[in-house]
Amino acid sequence: MINIIQKKLNKNIGSLIIGVSIIALLFTTLFSGCVQQQEGLSIVLIGRDSASGTREFFWEHVMGKENFTASLQEKNSNGGIYQTVTQTPGAIGYVGLGYVDNGVKALTINNITANPANVLSGTYPIARNLYVFTKGNATGAAKEFITFIQSTEGQAIVQEEGFVPIPTTETYNSTGKSLSGILSIGGSTTVFPILEKAKETFMILYQGLQITVSSTGSGAGITAVGAGTVDIGMSSRDLKSSESNLGLVKYTIASDAIVLIVNPENTYVDNLSLTQVKAIYIGEITNWNEFS
Amino acid sequence: MKKTKEDVGKEDRKPLQSEKQQQPFKKFFLSKKNIKEKSIKTVLFLTAISAIIVIFSIIIFLFKDGYPIFQTAGLWEFLSGTRWNPTGEPPLYGAFPLIVGTLLVTLGAMIVAIPLSIGSAIFISEIATPKMKTVIKPAIELLAGIPSVVYGFFGLIVLTTWLRISFSQPSGESWFAGSLLLGIMAIPTITSVAEDAISSVPREFKEGSFALGATRWQTISKVIVPSALSGITAGIILGIGRAIGETMAVMMVCGNPTYGLIPTSITNVFAPIKTLTATLGIEMGEVAAGSNHYHALFGVALLLLIITLAVNIIATVILNRLKEKQRSPSKKKTRLSVSIKQQIRKTLVFTIIMLCVLFLLISMGILLTACIGLVVGAVYYLRKKVSAKTGQRIAFIAIAIAILTVIVILGVILTYIISNGAGALSWEFLSQGPSNLGRSGGIYPAIIGTLYLVLGAIAIALPLGVGAAIYLIEYTRGGRLTKIIRAGADLLNGTPSIVFGLFGFAFFVLYLRMGFSLLAGQITIAFMILPTIIRTTEEALKSVPQSLREGSLALGATKWQTIKKVVLPPAAPGILTGAILGIGRAAGETAPIMFTAVVFSSFIPQSFVEPVNALPFHLYILATSIPNSARNQAGTALVLLLLVIGIYLVAVLIRNHYQKTMKW
Repeated sequence: MINIIQKKLNKNIGSLIIGVSIIALLFTTLFSGCVQQQEGLSIVLIGRDSASGTREFFWEHVMGKENFTASLQEKNSNGGIYQTVTQTPGAIGYVGLGYVDNGVKALTINNITANPANVLSGTYPIARNLYVFTKGNATGAAKEFITFIQSTEGQAIVQEEGFVPIPTTETYNSTGKSLSGILSIGGSTTVFPILEKAKETFMILYQGLQITVSSTGSGAGITAVGAGTVDIGMSSRDLKSSESNLGLVKYTIASDAIVLIVNPENTYVDNLSLTQVKAIYIGEITNWNEFS
Repeated sequence: MKKTKEDVGKEDRKPLQSEKQQQPFKKFFLSKKNIKEKSIKTVLFLTAISAIIVIFSIIIFLFKDGYPIFQTAGLWEFLSGTRWNPTGEPPLYGAFPLIVGTLLVTLGAMIVAIPLSIGSAIFISEIATPKMKTVIKPAIELLAGIPSVVYGFFGLIVLTTWLRISFSQPSGESWFAGSLLLGIMAIPTITSVAEDAISSVPREFKEGSFALGATRWQTISKVIVPSALSGITAGIILGIGRAIGETMAVMMVCGNPTYGLIPTSITNVFAPIKTLTATLGIEMGEVAAGSNHYHALFGVALLLLIITLAVNIIATVILNRLKEKQRSPSKKKTRLSVSIKQQIRKTLVFTIIMLCVLFLLISMGILLTACIGLVVGAVYYLRKKVSAKTGQRIAFIAIAIAILTVIVILGVILTYIISNGAGALSWEFLSQGPSNLGRSGGIYPAIIGTLYLVLGAIAIALPLGVGAAIYLIEYTRGGRLTKIIRAGADLLNGTPSIVFGLFGFAFFVLYLRMGFSLLAGQITIAFMILPTIIRTTEEALKSVPQSLREGSLALGATKWQTIKKVVLPPAAPGILTGAILGIGRAAGETAPIMFTAVVFSSFIPQSFVEPVNALPFHLYILATSIPNSARNQAGTALVLLLLVIGIYLVAVLIRNHYQKTMKW
């Protein structure tokens, strides 16, 4: 028996490989076609990657440090989550307040809308601060820039970019000061738009100053400022224990709400309680029709 | 042929030495010359071992930064743990689902790529008319020229949406999408190696087969393909290596489930999947340096490097054995008798079949296995019934379908990018900086950044690579050292680009404190393109006839004079081609610069220590992070594609021009 198989195999080994491969290809396509369809709309869970500051916050304050369900798809930026949610009817994701617009449907949490007023009054349940760090106390151009962002002029930019300003009454005064040289800034993708916009205004005030802002992620930003390769590091999270020995000083520059967004086509929900959000992300609720 | 060349090479060194001994009165003159010759040789030697130094420092640095995780988590726990949750409480560092994810995506990619590539290779080398060949071969090479981030962009925007709608799945980002895309990307690699193997089957085999009355298909399937089998296998293994190491495309279309996810069943092709490379690409940017998570990522990189090195070593061994076999076909190494060999083969084939059946049974259940068995049996039975002519017709139709599929895929990708990107192209788009986070404005800083990166990289890699190749070809043909250097270059060639990125991050950015800088990116890319340059320069030098060197030496020129004035000038176009190919590869790569040089920004660096923006990275960020930027995404993709393809085109033109004009 084996002998016969062997003989025939030997003869046709080339065509056999090709044949089997083609059949295998056909089968993959065929079987994927007859996957059963479900009632309602399956929930596609979108979240940030495990190194993200946003995800860490979400995990601590919404999930109560319980594990996400294994099918959670990771994106490494707020924009990535937004993009997937706009493209996928069943998707749900969480982004910073600045990323919410008409392309997605923002859900209210416990019937509270995510907006600056509710964040400032403390009624919106999932809000956090955004930071910049310097190595030691900020000096020179870095100090001036941070003072500028924390002033009413800087906070106007924060608001313009869709984030929540921190309460301040101090105005920025540039008269009699002059700055020159290069100020380099790097870090969080969430904080990036604020500093990029602030930089444009600031560079008009000080013609001799060159500012470079780069978005690399919170961790990379903190590492870079710790190593002295940038002057200011941006972060959407506080320092971790492994980063506490870098000698960094923290400045709060804005607040941010984390908003749950779904596709506009999703007619099943407008509001979720925190418990429901958790149930979705733990994987207890897997279909949107459980809400109707 | 080769042996005689080597012998001549050995002989022409000897006279120089004996000359020195016999003529002591010329010692002063000669020694001055000798010092120059020797120092040149030393410099060339240093460039030659650069490839080895690089590969070793990569391994050492990955190990240095990855080792702590094996201590904290335990090596076995790291390899076999089923959950990747480095920021959880307690943190878990199980890379097993990532390994499985990588293997599954690669398996799927091979199911897509192998039939298409072998079909294409057979078509190009055996069936196509010379005219068709001149169109189809460059078309497939074009597939290889498309940067992986452009594939990822196409996959993310078109492929995943198409999969989601046409298979009515909740999400298209899946194992299936990743495998399809990777399969397409592996086609050119497999096709070109397989085509080489098929073309190098001696003509006599084919003629003999025809003379015995076999049809064309019978000749192809029973004579040519079996003789080229080891070459085809090597091509497939190289394709596997490429698929395992690919980062950008996989990261953009596979869904990346957190913790890593092993699909519950092999038929569940729409499950999202997370690979080793995607884990690195996603998490590296935000991880805190020095944390356990950071070390865990370097552990993953080390794992990835070991897997790809193993795959590439296997391919190299197979290819080398093939070369030896071609050189001395009559030599028989094994003393095993034919019957024992057959016995071994028989058991091997039987075990493989049994393993396949077992695998199917476990993964798909009895019913599906029976179905598949039935179909395979039916096909097997039917093919005995059809006549040779009908068989040939069916086979040729299948091959035509394969080649058409490849062409259609290429057409769809190009059409999509060109038709969408053309609208964004304008002078302003090319000459202005981005505004509103890249949604409007142009891509001028990214273009300049790419040029800076590429030119710097080639300025570093070209002297190193050319020097190494000169040393390998002119000074030590054969020999153990040459073998080691060549192996080093081969290993470097197979190293995944994301591993270069991590190495650059650990070594240049952190250890040497360069920060995210132009220079760090240039050196990282230089290391990555070094093997390409070494190899093409070697080929160019080899093509210069030995007689020219002998003539020059006979006229009293020194070794270096010979190399400089006689060998290098005719080899220059070949070296140039290699340099341009290196530039093309460098311009399209994202992973190696992602953690060393590039930032999403709108400034042009004024010095080597500042970060830059680059086209592939700009496209990656636009496509994955900036909503409502579709127009500029497509525009950037088109510019990047045109740039890379343009560079390749120049290389091909130079090659063709000199192939025609150069005659010895």
